Amino acid sequence: MSISSKRIIFSLAAGIATVFAYTLYVCIVSTPATEDIAHWAILMLIFIIIGVVLQVIAQILIYVLFSIKEEVEENVSGSKRHKLFLQTSFIEDERDRLISLKAIRIGYACAGTGLFVALVALACGAPFVAALHIIVGAGALGSLIEGCASIYFHERGISNG
Amino acid sequence: MGEKLIITNNIRRLRFFANEMTQAELAQKAGVTRQTIIALEAGKYLPSLELAFKISNAFVVPIEEVFECSTQKADAS
Repeated sequence: MSISSKRIIFSLAAGIATVFAYTLYVCIVSTPATEDIAHWAILMLIFIIIGVVLQVIAQILIYVLFSIKEEVEENVSGSKRHKLFLQTSFIEDERDRLISLKAIRIGYACAGTGLFVALVALACGAPFVAALHIIVGAGALGSLIEGCASIYFHERGISNG
Repeated sequence: MGEKLIITNNIRRLRFFANEMTQAELAQKAGVTRQTIIALEAGKYLPSLELAFKISNAFVVPIEEVFECSTQKADAS
């Protein structure tokens, strides 16, 4: 598995951990009143910030782990090419951008569907909080699908057509 | 009646003749990741014209020596 795929897996793990933490918080620790939209919005904003911080930590962590691995291998083998491996693994090139574009398109389709479903739910008389959760949930699911699509394209290959 | 373009490359062979240049070295010279070089050699990715020229410059050979193009008749069915 390529470094790019491993980076995406770390990123996905951070995203899943955030969603899991949010679900746990809402189900066990505190559930704001259904009508209190501002409270729900603040809660979601807090968890979005936590999610971003976790993503940054995950990326730093994988870079540090990979650097340690390459350093150890360099010391064991005495070869100087490991530093070059590191330099040529953590840059973004045209293939990464193409994969990112294709994966984001799939993710947006999911998030867009979520918005549509939320509007239908509102039209059917569902509470606003439910619609808000459908939108946020679809966004999270879209990110998950985007990550999985990226891994798939990285491993299987991608055509420019 | 259409024809399908089949683009292949000789990167693996050229690396061997360039004093066994590693994928990482070629990646550094072309300004891409090693994963892209691996994908190119495996035929899983077709590079942009810019990257194709960068790779041919890295080997100091004309671009047609790195990439070859042949046509294949598309199946009518």
